[in-house]
Amino acid sequence: MNNTPLSTTASDPKRRNLRAPIVIALAVVALGAPMVLGTYAVHAMVIALIFLLPAHGLNLLVGYTGMLSLAQAAFFGLGAYASALMSIHLGTSFPVNMLAAIALACVIAVPLGIPALRLRDTSFVMCTLGFVIIGQAISKNWISVTRGDMGLNNIDKPTVGLAGYSWTASNPVEAYYLALVLAAFATWVFWLVVRSPAGRNLVAIRENETLAESLGIPTWNYRLAAFVIAAGFGGAGGSLYVHYISVASPLMFQTLYTTTMLIIVLGGGAGSITGVIFGSFLFVALSEGLRIAPELRMIAYGLSLLILVFRFPQGFAPFLMRIWDWAGGVDKKEGSA
Amino acid sequence: MTSGKVSVLDIKGLTKTYGAVTAVDNVDLHIDHGEILGLIGPNGSGKSTFFDCSTGLATPDSGSVSLEGSDITNWSLNRIAREGRMLRSFQKTVVFKKLDVEENLVIAGQMFTFPSVLSTFSVGKRSRMRIEGLRKHARELIELTGLGPVAHMAAGNLSGGQQKLIQFASMLMPDPRLIMLDEPMAGINPKLVERVIDTIRYANREMGVSFLIIEHNIDVVTSLCSRAIVLDQGRKLCEGTPAEVIANKQVREAYLGG
Repeated sequence: MNNTPLSTTASDPKRRNLRAPIVIALAVVALGAPMVLGTYAVHAMVIALIFLLPAHGLNLLVGYTGMLSLAQAAFFGLGAYASALMSIHLGTSFPVNMLAAIALACVIAVPLGIPALRLRDTSFVMCTLGFVIIGQAISKNWISVTRGDMGLNNIDKPTVGLAGYSWTASNPVEAYYLALVLAAFATWVFWLVVRSPAGRNLVAIRENETLAESLGIPTWNYRLAAFVIAAGFGGAGGSLYVHYISVASPLMFQTLYTTTMLIIVLGGGAGSITGVIFGSFLFVALSEGLRIAPELRMIAYGLSLLILVFRFPQGFAPFLMRIWDWAGGVDKKEGSA
Repeated sequence: MTSGKVSVLDIKGLTKTYGAVTAVDNVDLHIDHGEILGLIGPNGSGKSTFFDCSTGLATPDSGSVSLEGSDITNWSLNRIAREGRMLRSFQKTVVFKKLDVEENLVIAGQMFTFPSVLSTFSVGKRSRMRIEGLRKHARELIELTGLGPVAHMAAGNLSGGQQKLIQFASMLMPDPRLIMLDEPMAGINPKLVERVIDTIRYANREMGVSFLIIEHNIDVVTSLCSRAIVLDQGRKLCEGTPAEVIANKQVREAYLGG
C-alpha cells in the first residue's frame, strides 16, 4: 500500500526527474499566492494553514497509531482559550502564549488520556467526543473566566519580537506568512516524530497491537505519548487561530471544527504527511471558497465529500504518491514497497 | 553464563479457569538451558492457554512463572519480551503486513536497542546509528532464513510459510534467551518445514536459544526435541523423551479417544 510512511521508492535514471521542479513550483506558489489572490482567498489559505496543525496531531493518532480521536477540537479550544486569557490578563506576547498553550494541552492530555486509552475502538471515540462536549460546557458556563457565549474579544494580533525588533501580523497577507512559517515548522517537527524509531513503533501498533506487544513494545505508553503529542499540535493550532481571528468563543467546540479536522486527515490520506497538507488546503479552501454561494455552500460541500469518498476511498495520498512516482520516473508497477 | 541447575523457565502449579472449565490445571514445567522442549496434546488440551498464561497474554489464577530465577508471573506481555528476552509466536501467524520484511525485523529489535520509550523519539546521530545496526542485524537474519529475495516486499504479500519465517526471524532479532513457538509448522509446505527446522536448530546451537514448541507434527517433535510433555484436559499426562511419550498408552488413548 502506498500510505505507509516507511515505503521507499526506486528511481529510474532513464527519464528526467521532475521532482525538484515540482517542489520549487509549489514553493513559489506558496510564497507568491497572497500577492495574486484577493483578501478573502488569502484568509481562507490562512485558515487552511492553521488547521494543518491540529490535523497533523490527528494524523498521528488516526494515520500512524490507528486511534480515532475527536478530542483534537477540545485541545484546539483549550489552546485558544489559554492564549486568549493570557493575552488579556497577563499581556504576554504571542510566542509565549503559544508555547503555554502547547504545554497546557500536553499536560491536560495526560489525565484525560490515562482513562480514555483504556477504551478501544468506538468506546474510545465516544470518550473523546465527551471531552469536546465538556470543553464546550466549560467555555459556555464558566462565565467569570470565559464570558460564556459572549466569548473573549479583541485578542491581540500575533506579534513576533526578536532582539528589540517586533513585527505584527495585522492583515491576512502578513498572517499568511506567519502561518506558513509555523505550519512548515510544525510539519518538520511532525516529520521528525514519525521518522523516529518511536514513529515506527506507532505504525507497528496501528498494524497489529498484540504483535507489537509481543516484541517488547509497551504499546500503552506509546499510545499515551501519541495522544499527548497530538494534543500539543491541537493547542498550537488553537493559539494561532485565536490570535488570528482575535475571538475565542464556545463555537470553537462545535462539531464543525472536529469534522473539518477529520475530513482533512481522512480525505487527505491518513498516514501521509503530504496527503494531509493537501487535504487542509483543499477542504478549508473549499468550504471557505464556497461562501460565495451561501445558500448552496453546505450542499456543495457535502456533495464534494461524497464524490471524494467514492473516487478516492483512501484519501488523496495514493493519488499524490502516483504523481510523485511519475515525476521521479518510477514505473507504476514498482511504485513503493 | 550457565548458572548451574537454574532452569531458563520454571513454572509451578499453573492454573487457569474460564467459568466452570479448568483450561489449565496445576501444571508444572521447566525448561533447561539450551533445551528444545516439545509440548503436545490433543486440541483443547490447554496448550495455548498454558502458553498465554506463561507469556503474560493472560493472567493465571494461581501458580508461578519464573525466568532464570526471577518471578515474572504478573508481568505484561511486552515486559516479559523486553526485560526477559523471552519471545513468543502466535498460532495464527502475524506479521506487520503493510511493511516490508526488513522493517518488520527492525521493529522487532527496537525495544532491545533503545534504553527507554523516550529515547526512541530521538532522531539524533546515536539513534540513527542504532537503527543502522538493527538493519545490519536484520539483513543477516534475512539471509539466514532465506528471505533475501523478498526482503523489500510487503510481508502481507508473501506466503504463509514465508510469514512464519518472518515471525521467527523477528523473534531472533533481540538475541533472545527463550523462544516459545505455537505450532510453527501448521499450514506451511513441506519444503519450508525443513527450513524452519534447520533455523530452529541453528538458533539453538549457535545462538544458545532455548525453545518451547507446541507442535502437532510428531515427526517434528521427534527430530527437534530432547524432551516432550503431553497435556490432556488441562493436566500434565506424561513427560519424557519423544520416543517414550509416543509409546505411552495413556497418550495414545488421549489422542485416539479424545
